[in-house]
Amino acid sequence: MQIIESSKIKEKVYIEKLENGLTVMIVPKENTNKKYIIWGTHFGSNDNHFIVPGTNEEVTVPDGVAHYLEHKMFEQENGKNSLDVLMALGVDANAYTTNNHTAYLFETVEHFYEGLDELMDYVQHPYFTDENVEKERGIIGQEIGMYDDDPGWQLYMNALDCMYKKNAIKIDIAGTVESIAKIDKEVLYKCYNTFYNPSNMVLVVCGNFKPEEMIDEIKKRLVEKPKQGEIKVIHQIDDDEINMPYKETKMEVSKPLFLIGFKDKIDSEEKVKRHIAIEIIMNMLIGKSSDVYQNLYKEGIILAEPDLDYEFEKDYAHALIMGQTTNPEKVKEEILKEIQKQKENFDTEHFERMKKKIYGEYVTEYNNVSDIARMFLSDYFKGINSFDYIEQYSAVTEEYTKEILKELFEEKRCVMSVVGTK
Amino acid sequence: MKDEKIEIKQGIKFHKIKTNKFKTNLFAIFLNTALSRENVTKDALITALLRRGTMELKSQDLISKELENMYGAGFDCGIEKSGDYHTFKFYLEVINDDFLPEKENLSEKALKLLISIVFNPFIENGSFKEEYVKQEKSNLKQIIEGKIDNKGNYALERCIEEMYKEKPYGLFKYGYIEDVEKITAKDLYEYYLKLIQECKIDIFASGDINDNYEEIVRKDENINKLKERNIEIKKEDKKEIINQAKEIIDNMDVTQGKLVMGLDLMLDKEDIGYAAMVYNTILGVGANSKMFRNVREKESLAYTCGTNYIKRKNLLLVRAGIEIENYEKAVKLIKKEIADMKDGNFTDEDIKNAKNLIYSTIYNIEEEQDTEISYYFGQEISDLNTSVEEYKEKIEKITREDIIEVANNMQYNTIYFLRN
Repeated sequence: MQIIESSKIKEKVYIEKLENGLTVMIVPKENTNKKYIIWGTHFGSNDNHFIVPGTNEEVTVPDGVAHYLEHKMFEQENGKNSLDVLMALGVDANAYTTNNHTAYLFETVEHFYEGLDELMDYVQHPYFTDENVEKERGIIGQEIGMYDDDPGWQLYMNALDCMYKKNAIKIDIAGTVESIAKIDKEVLYKCYNTFYNPSNMVLVVCGNFKPEEMIDEIKKRLVEKPKQGEIKVIHQIDDDEINMPYKETKMEVSKPLFLIGFKDKIDSEEKVKRHIAIEIIMNMLIGKSSDVYQNLYKEGIILAEPDLDYEFEKDYAHALIMGQTTNPEKVKEEILKEIQKQKENFDTEHFERMKKKIYGEYVTEYNNVSDIARMFLSDYFKGINSFDYIEQYSAVTEEYTKEILKELFEEKRCVMSVVGTK
Repeated sequence: MKDEKIEIKQGIKFHKIKTNKFKTNLFAIFLNTALSRENVTKDALITALLRRGTMELKSQDLISKELENMYGAGFDCGIEKSGDYHTFKFYLEVINDDFLPEKENLSEKALKLLISIVFNPFIENGSFKEEYVKQEKSNLKQIIEGKIDNKGNYALERCIEEMYKEKPYGLFKYGYIEDVEKITAKDLYEYYLKLIQECKIDIFASGDINDNYEEIVRKDENINKLKERNIEIKKEDKKEIINQAKEIIDNMDVTQGKLVMGLDLMLDKEDIGYAAMVYNTILGVGANSKMFRNVREKESLAYTCGTNYIKRKNLLLVRAGIEIENYEKAVKLIKKEIADMKDGNFTDEDIKNAKNLIYSTIYNIEEEQDTEISYYFGQEISDLNTSVEEYKEKIEKITREDIIEVANNMQYNTIYFLRN
């Protein structure tokens, strides 16, 4: 078993790759009663075009299939729904689908091993019938309708549309009513058999556990699955250019929502270091103590600190600034001006302050077993060990950050999505 | 009791919650005052103004910079309804000194800063700064207008407003546009001064908390300026009997309809809230609830549906997101589930499952610092001292008969629907 320790925050992660290919990560937390487990497969809404291992068969599946599959995994042959079984134990269970992974999880204080029985049973035993697949269509249709009404989601999807020409990230995770109409049990089984192989999955546990014992408990519950070669997923790779600089839609909101995005290059070697630097820069540009934020706030143009995010995967990367404003154009203009200003005259004091702020945020992530486990899982699928954010923190120098500022924060990489008032 | 209470002065308490589960220490100050139409908007405005500056750090910008230098200490504030009371909440979360890259007394600094934000605001010419008041008034107006943005919450607010017309709990916690205009900086400051001399004050410290912190509070000159005060928490009013539930339909540009049904629990006896919690969970919380199983899964009628029970108001809220044309059908189905509860149409398994779910929320209390503070504050303002363990015991004792008793005393008050 591999053990990685972070001396700064006094935490350890134990990593073991089991014989069947499953990766298990355990982060012991002695003082807490809460336990969290998350089991993820490297299969998300972007993975709609692939070659089934051991064949030459190239498969294209309807949009929204990963999410549909997630919904259907809970259904059991004995007529029970595993979500109900878990909830009945008082275990807080859930599942979610992102564009690159699907995860099944629960959190509990008591009944952990009973919960583990159920989780490992249902994830390893799909049960799809024509009837139960059909029944889900209405529910997912309603869910899609809910997203259609959600201004924040529309804002985000339009921003992706601005940045990307063909990357599958443009597709709604849940698909559309038309695309899910094409999903049947054969498609679900094909995706399940391809992507839910242990070698494509990782299981993360956080709580008061002894790592060796935990590994044994997991092994006991594993079902034998055929060994599988590499899955070739075919992704449409975008170039560096944006698709269009601006997109607007109108919805019933009190005040426009804006999202300013910067499309990043995807071949960066130092992903964590780059991520830290970008977070520092975004905070310098429009964070709470920035001139831009303070001025816009005073003028009543912006009401609350925008949300800042850097999302990246193997085939996409972008920095996002999202908020609500009376004047989206003005916000963009001020941010671009500030970028120019910082490029010419970098504010060292501000940089140091933001760096400290971000350190605090990274440490705070370790307060909660669910945050820890989810972080390790999603970072794993990006090829990152989460401790790297703490360890590489001091390597992010002013010089390095200036370089990133020049590279990413350019007008030609910048897009804006707006949800305007009706 | 894990919440160690120290009376600093009559009406002002310091609560120590020692815990080693976290990388952070969390400090909180709660001010509690009666909710009224006259003051509700002022309350919201004060919460927003206090973060704008202190006598030491005269602007929000300076406060932000200070917080950032404290390794991104997290300041948060807000206003909540606690039954017929309005609670101002201020939080400051800071990394425990043990995990800092360099040693310093960050937590002591944090507690002092939080006290100063709440009790030593920036004052200019004997009043709040005109400029800040003007900006916060305009911001508050935008928040009030923003009520419509989240359709689900809007429907919920509207249902509560209709249920509690002319009553404190029916007020919107951020107040009203027409009142914002009338408020002047001077009036607001006078109201603030009166408020901090009369309201109930609770200061919480959670984490690696030693005796120094109590000393900091006791010796703080802003705290010393506060007078003793008499605090009396009023009992809830008796509920009125309604013969015919109100039906309210609002129109807005939505693709999905939002249904909210408000029911009163007409029973007023000790610990009935615990039975109502089990009732609520069986009916509408989580994937095992009757609502989820029958309305969502069996009938595929709703993507979201569930119930909330608000203990302080003995209020049950049923919510569902549905296709607009399914309104009548959904109301009928939900009513059937509620009637089923009266008939005892639920299994012992349902009771067990519901209790398990409630236990898990009880266990969760000590696993999150703000949840734990909120729990003990809830006890404080209900004049109760129920420990987390006792809370669980009270749920354990609930019987099938208790749940049916709750079901038999539910009264439909309002059926609200937001549609296009």
